[in-house]
Amino acid sequence: MFLELFADLSTPIMMGILLGGLYALIALGLSLVFGVMKLINVAHGDLVLFSSYFAYAAMTTVGMDPVVSLVIGVPLLFAIGFAMQKYLLSRAFAISMEAPLIIAFGVSLILQNFQQIVWSPMSRGLTTSYTLASFGVGSIRVPLAYLLDFIAALVVMFFLREFLNRTYLGKAIHAASQDRRAAQLMGINTDRVYAFAFAISMATAALAGVFLGLTFPFTPQSGVSFLILAFGVVIIGGLGSMLGTFLGGMVLGLAQTLGGYFLGAAAQMLFAYAIVLFVLAVRPQGLFGR
Amino acid sequence: MIHRLRGGGIPFIVAMVVLVVLPIAGMPRSWSLYFFLFFIYLAMANMWNLLAGYSGLISLCPPAFIGLAGYALVIGTWIGVPYYLGIIAGAIVAAAFALLISLPVFRLSGIYFSIGTLVIPEALRIAFFLWRPVGSQMQGGGAGYMVKGVTGVSVSWFYWLALVIGMASIFLMRLILRSTLGLGLASIRDNDRAAASCGIDVFRLKLYSFVISAFVTGIAGGIFYIYQGYIEPASAFNIKWTMIVMLATVIGGMSTEEGPIIGTAIVVFLHFLLAKYAGISLLIQGIILIGIMLLAPQGIVGVLRHNRAYRSFVQFIDAR
Repeated sequence: MFLELFADLSTPIMMGILLGGLYALIALGLSLVFGVMKLINVAHGDLVLFSSYFAYAAMTTVGMDPVVSLVIGVPLLFAIGFAMQKYLLSRAFAISMEAPLIIAFGVSLILQNFQQIVWSPMSRGLTTSYTLASFGVGSIRVPLAYLLDFIAALVVMFFLREFLNRTYLGKAIHAASQDRRAAQLMGINTDRVYAFAFAISMATAALAGVFLGLTFPFTPQSGVSFLILAFGVVIIGGLGSMLGTFLGGMVLGLAQTLGGYFLGAAAQMLFAYAIVLFVLAVRPQGLFGR
Repeated sequence: MIHRLRGGGIPFIVAMVVLVVLPIAGMPRSWSLYFFLFFIYLAMANMWNLLAGYSGLISLCPPAFIGLAGYALVIGTWIGVPYYLGIIAGAIVAAAFALLISLPVFRLSGIYFSIGTLVIPEALRIAFFLWRPVGSQMQGGGAGYMVKGVTGVSVSWFYWLALVIGMASIFLMRLILRSTLGLGLASIRDNDRAAASCGIDVFRLKLYSFVISAFVTGIAGGIFYIYQGYIEPASAFNIKWTMIVMLATVIGGMSTEEGPIIGTAIVVFLHFLLAKYAGISLLIQGIILIGIMLLAPQGIVGVLRHNRAYRSFVQFIDAR
């Protein structure tokens, strides 16, 4: 009987882990900004969607493959992120603690309505030959897009981790996040470091946007729900830890698919949010945080 | 306590009387709608200002209180509760919910508090998608509910209801800010550790302002939903409510008493001015929000306070 239950559960567990990859990919950039600048970037979801729409535009007008379009998409979002931190947020940080949050809200509002005007409120998707393909593991059928999400998340997490631990810029970002004043005294240009951190976060958002589009259909309004999902991942995983965020994604993905399995598909997100609130109340520093 | 409240009484009463007789004096229908929305948003913005501007709690969960109060009211009308009792019931539900969530969210400070409150309306939205307390399969869930049995209520009545809550919220802010609670809140906002070491019960004062804010926001939400006539989860628990109150408070001037009044007037004005271009309207509001925040972080009131004419005007009002 136990074995049968396990066989039944193998599909939701597999799907949950792979789906968790996508959530982690969306959340990695958020986690970086959150950890370094203590900023809740409420525009993150809309910036991720902006990348999805960019890939959509490249696909429908020029016929470029969404993954190939990242060659332009990643540098574009990197530049947008750099400019946003340098010209908007860095000024806001000088004003007060809540000013950057309110500005991020403004950016979210602008992007959401920009996307609605340009691409209409209709549901869009990045449909390619390989998005509908699936492969079998034993008796389970797994969509190929889910596996791509997971691999992308793993690669981005690994690169970010190594970048933060090994390069000079990465170490400078670490230093500025621990103590801004002390980092400045050590000769680190914290304004520039923040701008790079935000730009890197946006580059991961570009990747997340394309893989999101390959997996799910999206509308200009989807930003908020993916933002909240990503926050759930960051809360579960712990502040600013890349590996923690990755594992947090898995936990949230599993909570969703297992919640769907036991409570019905309609209640799956409710169960996932309940877990987020529970972790927030019991362990605000996250399951894998220090 | 009372002597601190003196001043501003006569202009307040004059404004109140003028606003009360406006519908009788034959104000156009469309104007009552503008004023209706103004007073509803004003009450919500004032309560957000109480939290964000005076208690240091950047709350992102007004939609939770508005949606819950709206649902309590609408479901109440289905089981035969008169709407005026439904408004109070909705506000009590919102306040009780605030009390309930205060336990987990007040363990979080600063930025974590904001995230915690961001997740709550989203979770409620999904819960109300699934929940069908009354009615058949045709109603409830994503389809929402119509308000039942509230007929023959004229536009003027909605206007007066909104007027009462809008003016009450101004008066309440004045009362709170001049009470010991207001002083305690200000000290928490400025430095919570110093406040705690002076013997201020930080948790309790924050809880009071959170619950008061939920109650008044709930009343305003209830009045809005009787007017609207139906409720459904996607718009009731929408982050757009947070945008409106934040925009109104920030444009007018956070942490000032008159800020939300001026800010709400501008938001409602923009809302109707740009009503024809729904998407562009919000886009422009976003640009205004960022512009104000960068150029005049203290909002319009902050700029005005440097102006001598404005200062003497405020003095004139306060002296009466």
